[in-house]
Parts: sequence; C-alpha cells; structure tokens
Amino acid sequence: MGRLVVHRLAATVPVLLLVTLGVFALLHLTPGDPIDTMMAESADPAVKAHLRRELGLDRPIYVQYAHWMGRVMRGDLGRSIRNGEPVIENVSRRLRPSLQLALLAMTVSVLIAFPVGIVSAVRQNTAADRVGTTFALFGICMPNFLLALLLIFVFGVTLRWLPISGYVDPLEEGWDGLRSLVLPACTLGLALAAVITRTLRSSLLEALGEDYVRTARAKGLSEWAVICGHVLKNAMIPVVTVLGLQLGTLIGGAVITEYVFALPGVGRLVVDAVFARDYPLVQGVILLIAVGFIVSNLLVDLLYGWLDPRIRAR
Amino acid sequence: MAGSTRASGPADRRWRALRRAARTRLAPFGALVLLAAVTLAVAAPVVSPHDPLKQNLDNTLARPGRAHMLGTDNVGRDVLSRVIWGTRISLVAGIVSVVLAAAAGSVLGLIAGYAGGRVDGLVMRAMDAVLSFPPLVLALALGAVLGAGLTGVLLALGVVYTPTFARLMRGQVLSIMARDYVDAARALGAPGWRIACRHVVPNAAVPIVVQASLSVAFAILAEASLSFLGLGIQPPQASWGSMINAGRGYLQQAPWIVFGPGVALFVTVVGLSFVGDGVRDALDPRLTR
Repeated sequence: MGRLVVHRLAATVPVLLLVTLGVFALLHLTPGDPIDTMMAESADPAVKAHLRRELGLDRPIYVQYAHWMGRVMRGDLGRSIRNGEPVIENVSRRLRPSLQLALLAMTVSVLIAFPVGIVSAVRQNTAADRVGTTFALFGICMPNFLLALLLIFVFGVTLRWLPISGYVDPLEEGWDGLRSLVLPACTLGLALAAVITRTLRSSLLEALGEDYVRTARAKGLSEWAVICGHVLKNAMIPVVTVLGLQLGTLIGGAVITEYVFALPGVGRLVVDAVFARDYPLVQGVILLIAVGFIVSNLLVDLLYGWLDPRIRAR
Repeated sequence: MAGSTRASGPADRRWRALRRAARTRLAPFGALVLLAAVTLAVAAPVVSPHDPLKQNLDNTLARPGRAHMLGTDNVGRDVLSRVIWGTRISLVAGIVSVVLAAAAGSVLGLIAGYAGGRVDGLVMRAMDAVLSFPPLVLALALGAVLGAGLTGVLLALGVVYTPTFARLMRGQVLSIMARDYVDAARALGAPGWRIACRHVVPNAAVPIVVQASLSVAFAILAEASLSFLGLGIQPPQASWGSMINAGRGYLQQAPWIVFGPGVALFVTVVGLSFVGDGVRDALDPRLTR
C-alpha cells in the first residue's frame, strides 16, 4: 500500500505543475490586453498601469510565472479586483454552503441509488428493473439546470412546499437551513444517483453470476444474506471507481446548481468571477478547484487500492 | 476459402454492423430522433412557422395555441420557431466540438504513441493536466477568456474533450505497433509516416468513431449548460440553454418558455445516446455491457 501511495504521489507532481501552468496561461489567453478586458476602456490610465504593475504584467512571461508560482507556494493566490480581498478569503467564505450541498447530494444519491440498483439487479428483466434502468437513463441525460427548474416548478411554484432560492445555514437555523438545501441537493443528487444505479446494477449482475454466489446459495443462505454479505462488497469496486470519475461532473453540477438556486458557494463564485472578468479570482478559484479535484482523485485511487488487494500488488 | 473471403468483405462487414446496431432496440429510436433533429436544423428557415427573432410586445407570454404551438416568450417571440432554430446551434456545437477534439486528440495520441519516451510523457502529462479540471469548470474558464459566443464554446469544448481521444488513440497506437503486420511493413523498409498513415490510423479509427458518437450527446449538454450560464450563444440568437435561462424568471406565469426547449434538449440527448450505444454495438461489440 505504501508503494502505491508513493507511486501515485510522484505521478501527481508533474500534473500539478502543468495545471499551474495552464491556470497561469488563462490570463494570457485573453484576446487583446488583459487589463483592457478586465477594466472599462475609459478607466484611468494610472489605475490601469497600477493594476498592470500589481499583476506583474509588465515583466517577461517566465518571470511572471516564477513570481506567481512563488506566491502560490506561499498560499497567496492574489486578490480579487472587484472587492480587493484575498482569493483565499473569498473561497473560504463560500466553502461551507458548497460542502453542505455536496454532502447532502451524496446522501440523496446513496439513499436512492443503492435500493434502486439492488432491486434492479435482483429482479432483472422485471417491471422493477425497467423502472430502475429508465430512472438511470433519465438521470444521466437530464441536464442539471433543467432538473432544477422542474423541481422548482413542482415543489416551489406549484406545491409551495420548499423555498426556490437563497441559503440559510443549517448549522445555525437547523430546519429552515435544511429546507433551503433540499431542492439543490436533490438536483445534484439525482444525477449522481442515476450513474451509481447503472454501475451498481451492472456490477451486481456480474457478481451474481460468480461461483461463490452459487456456493453461498447452496449453503442455504437467504437471497438478501447473499446480496448483503457477499455480492454487494465485491460489486462496490466499480462503484467507487465511477464515484471518483464522477467527481468532476459533481463539481460542474454544483456550479450550475448553485447558480440556479442562488446559493453563495464556490461554484457561484466561479460564475460571478467569470462575468465580472475578475481574472485573478478566476485563476485562484480554478486552481483551488483543480487541486481539490486532483487530491480527491488521488484519495479515490488509494481507496480503490485498499478495497482491491490486486491493485496494490501491481 | 472464397466464401469466407466474401463473408468478410467490406460490404458484408458494413451490413453486419448495421444489423447489430438495429438489433439494439433503442438505436432505431435514436436514429429517428437524430434524423428529425438534422432535418429541422437544415430546414429551419422553411419549417419554422415564425421569425425566431421577431418580437411582438402585444402578445407576450401567450399560452400554447393554434397561432403559437409552444406559446410565446416574454417579448412575444414564437417559442416553437426558436426551438427549431436552436436545433442548429445544438447540433453544430455537439458535432463540431467533438470533431475538433477527435482530430486534435488523435494527432496528439498518435504522436505520443509513435514517438514514445519523453514526447509521450510530456503529451500524456499535459492531457492528464487537462483532465485534472472538472470539465464544466474548464469550459467555463476557457469560455471566459475566449469570449462568449459559438466559437468560444466550440474551442472550449474541443479542449475539454481532447484528452479522452488522445488517451484512446495512444492506447490503440501502442497496441497496433506491436502487431506482426507493422513489423512486416518495417522490415520491407516502409517509412514511419507511411506506417502511421497506412497501418496505424485506419486500424485505430473504429474506437475513435465509437467514442465520438458517444461524446456528441454530452457535448450538446455541455453547450446548453454554457449557454444557460450566459457564456454560449448570445441573445437574441436562439439556443436551447439560453432560452431556458431566459424563461426561468417566468416559470410561474409561462412555464412553456422553459419546457419547450427543455423537452427538445432532453429528447435529443436521449436519442443521441441511443445512437452512440448503437454505433458502439455495431462497430465494437466487445465494449457492449
């Protein structure tokens, strides 16, 4: 296991370096002068010159990169042009709603995907299976924003059961906070549930055909004891892999979900920064998201190695 | 022997591939949806009942009826006509971005697999770096620097999907390069570019085509998501994503503004997914699950 950890960490370093290069290049991909893009053309030339100096755009590009990397290594991701606050502060203020949303969405997806996936596999080719596979297909093909609007229309506008936008912190206002996150969590969770359901169903079907299942049944174990005690554990490996692969989709989904429901999370911060052309903030947030994504994938890889001893042996 | 040669001829292989695709129950439905979408996109000026950009402030938020089958939006434009014109944007975005990604990814994968060593390492680490960004976040960032509009979206999505094709092509190249017929071509003195063009690329093409057909549906979804966020097609041009975004403020009074393009988007994506699965089953049955 230790060798796997070292190997994966070593493979991550060059990728991280290239990621920083890509994020740094973002500002320089802007057509024309980035300062003109960020500020109105009529802005005071002195202010423009000051910003150019502050961002180091008056120096050679390799010096700019080295300087920027030096600051990044010290945890300084620059300051937002709009509010003048450090990027880290902007992000940390928005982190709590995003984490709460991700946690609730994961809960929703697991609560739906496991029963539906198991019933679909155990009752293969029955009406229950068809309902399960249709749900998976709809969830995968349905865009987040459309599902969000559908849920808003039914539960917010028509039935008036749940708030359609805004955020109340569940850690401060318990019930009202949870109510404000129900629709966003369902939006994000249903799409994830669809992918987990499909993977779980196919990996369960594969595991159900194995010899050890026949042995367990021959021992006289009940069907549910076979599923829960033997099959589910072995079917989990592809599910964990898919969960890792879906992290990117989950983050992308969170951007849209936070935008639709006006949640003050990191996803919403990215959209706002893009529209405000606040490039230092865009760079900082994108870099943090990418690093978070790489670290999460690394953890999933290690979890995969922990679940399946064959991976460790390779 | 002659019989077996005939049985594996190109025409016969194509026929067997088509039969395999048709046997997938949902692929014909997907093909119908695709055909309808392409027809609507091409014939939009003829089949659309109204001018998609013409506003009528005396008839805003009109319910679906005989004059406007899907109602009108907040400035009195016919929703059906805008949905029909939006088909063009969605198909162009989905197909062109995937073609761009497939072309760029195939070239990069070919170079990486063929050159090996440091070039391979550099190209593949660069691809890993692109994959390290959540796709929508990367598209959003690229869209921001390239500017809103169709070109920015096409390029952004092209970049996002390139690593998938590069990885696939590299894997294919490495596997094909180990085959006997490549050794034979080398022994006969064929130059590297000739081996790449005559032996490697044609044999590696099938998985690329399969991946491309599976990616189009997701590229259409991604374009709609970017347009929904305001980075794609700019108003007053019609795109499904931007129409849905514009209609969300009127969900209570006029839900048809959202659900017209929403249903079109959903049906197209479902149909294209079936087509993608059908193409996969037809060309590469080993990948079928």
